Amino acid sequence: MGIVAVFFRGMSEMQNIKGTFRNNSAVRLVPAKENLMTDEMRAQSEIRIEHVSMTYPEEGGRSLTAITDVSLDIQKGEFISLLGPSGCGKTTLLRLIGDLLQPTTGSITVSGDSPKAARMNKKYGIVFQNSVLYDWRNVRKNIRLPLEVMKIPKEEWENRVDAMLDLVGLSNFGKHFPHQLSGGMQQRVSIARALAINPEILLMDEPFSALDEFTREKLHEDLLRIWQRTNKTVVFVTHNIAESVYLSDRVCVLSPHPGRLSAVVDIDLPRPRVKEMRDSPEFLALVSKIRNSFEGV
Amino acid sequence: MGKVKSFFKSGRFVSLVWIIGIVLAWEIAAFFIADVFHDRMMNSKLPYLHSIIGTIVGNFALLSMACATTLSRAIIGFAAGALVGFALAIFMSLFRPIEKISYPYLLLSQMVPILGLAPVVISIVHKVQIGSVTIAASDITRVIIAAYITFFPVATNMLSGLKSVDADKLSLMFTYAARKPTVYAKLMLPFSVPYLFSGLKIAAPLAVTASILVDSLGAAGGIGYNMTYSLYTGTYSIFWASVLCSAAMGILGYYAMVLFEQLFMPWKRGSSKKGGR
Repeated sequence: MGIVAVFFRGMSEMQNIKGTFRNNSAVRLVPAKENLMTDEMRAQSEIRIEHVSMTYPEEGGRSLTAITDVSLDIQKGEFISLLGPSGCGKTTLLRLIGDLLQPTTGSITVSGDSPKAARMNKKYGIVFQNSVLYDWRNVRKNIRLPLEVMKIPKEEWENRVDAMLDLVGLSNFGKHFPHQLSGGMQQRVSIARALAINPEILLMDEPFSALDEFTREKLHEDLLRIWQRTNKTVVFVTHNIAESVYLSDRVCVLSPHPGRLSAVVDIDLPRPRVKEMRDSPEFLALVSKIRNSFEGV
Repeated sequence: MGKVKSFFKSGRFVSLVWIIGIVLAWEIAAFFIADVFHDRMMNSKLPYLHSIIGTIVGNFALLSMACATTLSRAIIGFAAGALVGFALAIFMSLFRPIEKISYPYLLLSQMVPILGLAPVVISIVHKVQIGSVTIAASDITRVIIAAYITFFPVATNMLSGLKSVDADKLSLMFTYAARKPTVYAKLMLPFSVPYLFSGLKIAAPLAVTASILVDSLGAAGGIGYNMTYSLYTGTYSIFWASVLCSAAMGILGYYAMVLFEQLFMPWKRGSSKKGGR
């Protein structure tokens, strides 16, 4: 069993936050995912966010500050959640990482490169809140889409699609069209499509928030299984505290007006996570700890 | 039992009721005019539907020839207009300034009544001789007017389709570092197909109308020519038969587009439910 060092950057810069996490030390050790950590992964953070602010220009010369001065390091293979109420800038932060937005100030690097270079190098798989499947393509062809666009050799398509269908448990649904699938299945196809190009980083923007509770919990299990098998770095945006605790290695708590990183919480529940943990005192304690940190919001 | 029930709830049943209703209303109205009011102008006002159908059967060769003349020109014009509208929509979506500049002209083009435009076109257009084949001026006019009336609904509907592609679908293409031709081929165009078809469905009966109109404005054949001519000569049976035929062509045009839509969009077939993603 390996140990991974988790850095808290930017914590010391935050002032006057009513949360309970100001006493976090700069470096803490948390239990790692079993058998998954290697020396190489420990070496260096994969995504480095430094003093990033994002301001949207608005009409009439005014502007809207979405996030201000966020610094964060995300380790390779880590499952990290960006948690917060609406308006806290969590989606903005995800989009900044994914090169869908450019920061106003500050910098983001992905393995030392710019987000744009990372995007061009097929490092990102993105899953949105809505599955964003192309209605006119069946499941197989939806999963194949990034392979077609990103010029993956044609000979690999079928094998990759088969592997992805298997990974998300939809092998029997390849010929179905999106409208013939349930919401949960659609989101699984969306995950399969994101993983088809074998990206290093999976960016997920509230992927399960439109699903019912039962489907969501099922997909939690699926996502964790997929993550353990593929070893991706996952950045997971959510407004659901329990969800973030159950899935993550670390939870980044963001507060609104203006959006800022107010706390980073280590989730030291053992891996693999199992359903029963949702009722454990440790789990509930973490949930309430995070919930309390929002009281000043 | 269940099958009967579901039939009564189906769209087919509704259409059936409509058709039967129209036929009944027609026959009853004709009965009143002919046998209650004993109107001697009955044949021009509203002859029995079954007698009109009798006329169609009796003059099948004449009417089908006329229909073929009108319809073939309408189809050529429709195809040309659809192509122009399609290209125009893509052009406008690619270059925003072009859309802004050309849109008022497009609107203006549709404000000019074709009834006024058709004679102008007729007077400008001359017959064309290609080798041994002569294309009559009226044929060219039919095609031009049909195309003219078709391109607008096609262009506007297609354009609104291209503009309604949702941001997340585009973001996805962006993360794939897709170039513009790829974005159009794999996203914009397939996404807009339903919009294109709603434009085509509006345009198809209009193209038939345009062709009929030119028929009646001095062409030497076609169903519109039959209508005008039979009206002048008082052969009301042929007149009503022609009216029914032209209505049938318009409806045919519409349903041809519905059929194409279903062929081209298999993903839409039997959808509707589970829309709330």
